[in-house]
Amino acid sequence: MASHIPNLNTLRRGRGRGRGIGRTEETLPSGKDRIVQGTDNDASVSRLSAVELGYLEDAYAAVLTPAGSATRRLPIINRGTYARTTAIDQLVARFLGPYLPENTHKKQIISLGAGSDTRVFRLLSSRQTPDFVYHELDFAVNTAEKIRAIRSAPVLQRALGIGSELSSENDTRVTVSETGDALRSPSYHVHPVDLRSLSTCSDPVAALPGVETGLPTLLISECCLVYLSPIEAEQVVSFFTQRLFGHGGAVSGLGDSLQEAQVNVAPLGLILYEPIRPNDAFGRTMVSNLAARGIQLKTLPRYASLEAQRGRFQEQGFGDGQAVADIEFIWKRWVNEDEKERVAGLEMLDELEEWQLLARHYCIAWGWRDQDDTAFAGWKDLEAQQGE
Amino acid sequence: MSDLDRAIEQLRACRLIPESQVRELCYKARELLIEEGNVVSVDAPVTICGDIHGQFHDLMELFRVGGDVPDTNYLFMGDFVDRGFYSLESFLLLLCLKVRYPDRITLIRGNHESRQITTVYGFYDECIRKYGSANVWRYCCEVFDYLALGAIVLGASSELEPTSTTALSSMPIDDSELETEVLNSRGEVTMSTYRARQRSSSDASTDSRNISPPRDISAAPGQAAAPSRSGAPGTGASGDGNGSAVTSRTGAVLCVHGGLSPLIDSVDKIRLIDRKQEVPHEGAMCDLLWSDPDEIEGWGLSPRGAGFLFGGDIVKQFNHLNGLSLVARAHQLVMEGYKEMFDGGIVTVWSAPNYCYRCGNVAAILELGEDTSGGGTVARSNGEYGRSNGIVSNSRVVSPGRRYRVFEAAAQDTRGMPAKKPVADYFLVSFFPLLS
Repeated sequence: MASHIPNLNTLRRGRGRGRGIGRTEETLPSGKDRIVQGTDNDASVSRLSAVELGYLEDAYAAVLTPAGSATRRLPIINRGTYARTTAIDQLVARFLGPYLPENTHKKQIISLGAGSDTRVFRLLSSRQTPDFVYHELDFAVNTAEKIRAIRSAPVLQRALGIGSELSSENDTRVTVSETGDALRSPSYHVHPVDLRSLSTCSDPVAALPGVETGLPTLLISECCLVYLSPIEAEQVVSFFTQRLFGHGGAVSGLGDSLQEAQVNVAPLGLILYEPIRPNDAFGRTMVSNLAARGIQLKTLPRYASLEAQRGRFQEQGFGDGQAVADIEFIWKRWVNEDEKERVAGLEMLDELEEWQLLARHYCIAWGWRDQDDTAFAGWKDLEAQQGE
Repeated sequence: MSDLDRAIEQLRACRLIPESQVRELCYKARELLIEEGNVVSVDAPVTICGDIHGQFHDLMELFRVGGDVPDTNYLFMGDFVDRGFYSLESFLLLLCLKVRYPDRITLIRGNHESRQITTVYGFYDECIRKYGSANVWRYCCEVFDYLALGAIVLGASSELEPTSTTALSSMPIDDSELETEVLNSRGEVTMSTYRARQRSSSDASTDSRNISPPRDISAAPGQAAAPSRSGAPGTGASGDGNGSAVTSRTGAVLCVHGGLSPLIDSVDKIRLIDRKQEVPHEGAMCDLLWSDPDEIEGWGLSPRGAGFLFGGDIVKQFNHLNGLSLVARAHQLVMEGYKEMFDGGIVTVWSAPNYCYRCGNVAAILELGEDTSGGGTVARSNGEYGRSNGIVSNSRVVSPGRRYRVFEAAAQDTRGMPAKKPVADYFLVSFFPLLS
């Protein structure tokens, strides 16, 4: 062993990472906000990268990505963005069902921490007359940003039905609050709200104006609840399952007789996209790398495995179905061979082992409650992953 | 101090050298590499290293753990660049060392030493960012085209000298020799394996060539005994007094970045490739840099889109036909740093710890010791010796003793080193403010 070469590992500093971006959350909240902004850009930049390289079709990705931040992501990240996006698209499509002009049965989607997500615009433009209502919930700073983007991008306005030949009638159908952080329209609502405040609000319906409590409803959390403490995350979920949409499913602590007594409870589903498996070598590194950026995945230790995710749905009000699959499984089993070949042909992927590692550490979980067993029937033949 | 030594000093400190000096360095390196065959012959002892991928600080850790150049003889199996943030510093340092100590360091080509791959995986962007133009990238790519495609290690010892710190619990069994040893970065032995020592021919009452070898480990024909572990090189017990056809009983080790090719059934066929070009999308040269071993029979399609998968039967046959005891290759991330497959017929060596600052893996290097028993004569093991002998078809050359040194990622914020904190990519999509 060459003794004159310094052992970098013994020169490691005692505490933390020293100067630079190794901030502490207590002292520098503004620094933390900047980190969050970076995360925000991270996601939209990844989406735009996947779109520009042909992984995904998304006419709205460019206008919802900060100008000048377009960057080509590595193939492994592009494939992950592809697998995640198409998997959630598929769950959403199966929930909404095929578009039928005569269909008068509306459905509802509520996206938690939606940020600059493009899904609502893609859905609106793919269906002639919207047969759904879409709600996005996020902090006011983020919803204001999104509404600014809508105001400055005609392509987003067209998706919302605000055409270039808009009649005054159409104009009034889309309203933005004076503060610029709330938007209402017949099929799209943007709510500036701190999710954690929901559990203490006195009037659930008033907290989210425009939400119809009788409609079959799908909640989506793409890496959102994972940042809350386990208790807060559970409270957010129970706000929807128990308060806004009434009781349903196997709520822990409630007896069977009470469940039987419940009638006319709206069908409710939840899709989660989150990191998983924090306890192996890759997972530990992921947790510490993100912690170094000020990002804490607070529910990850509690929902660390596929099994824990299934149990979470069972316990938190989605008693009629619980399923989960990691992203590697989804890539292997949900993407058909032709499509796999197309996607694999877009870029040479020389990171197979790394792809497997990364993809095994993210999962999509979905579950539902539905007395009539119809609203989520389309989810039943989706292949889920067994085991831990 | 020569300019070259100064450049080495500078690069060791993770500081770049001027563009004009890079051009000169690359020119000298090409002149040197053009003289090398497609398959370089390297004599043991040698330390074999896998992917580096621009993880400069970890390369320094590798040298600390494995010994410095020129004290230690190194063989790097490619993928010097891309992914990490210091591809330039890493590759230029290795190139300087190559030019300064051409006989002490061997560089062979990985699939990332390619124009096309480096434009996707970061090296091109790094060159533009650090030098302001693509000139340095072009100089480096011209060097890539001249890198050898493989190496043959000759004269490796079948037996390891036990590390002095060997734990008492792993004392050798009687009449066995130390075959593999795994050490951590502090030089402590964490695992040892032994195999039955082969009887020396002087102990045998009859001609050893007529005796079935114990445990299927046999000597090559005409070859004599294994050395006594404590015996001095060339002592009578080694039985090399009969002169002429004395060979090392350890077969040669083929080193390539990726693996085998269905178009290549002998090492000599590798020598026939016209290698001085960009890595092609298919064909023998592509396969050597892209293929992977897999638990299959025969050949399979590679999910990477280039090269092939090959099974244990392919490795066994290739090693046998070419008098090889081992194929050493890199190319695939293995969490433990190294992975032996197919009864030790092939090993993957991976030398980029915490790959991409994200994977949480350890790294390893493989040391092969020098066989001091054969009087300095080693087998030419690329298919040209004694295959017609009936005994050979039943026998197997002995694999070399293998010492793996496992090490972890270097700290990034050490004083005296640039401390750019790498940011690993994850799939993050939340726009949710991270308030406490």
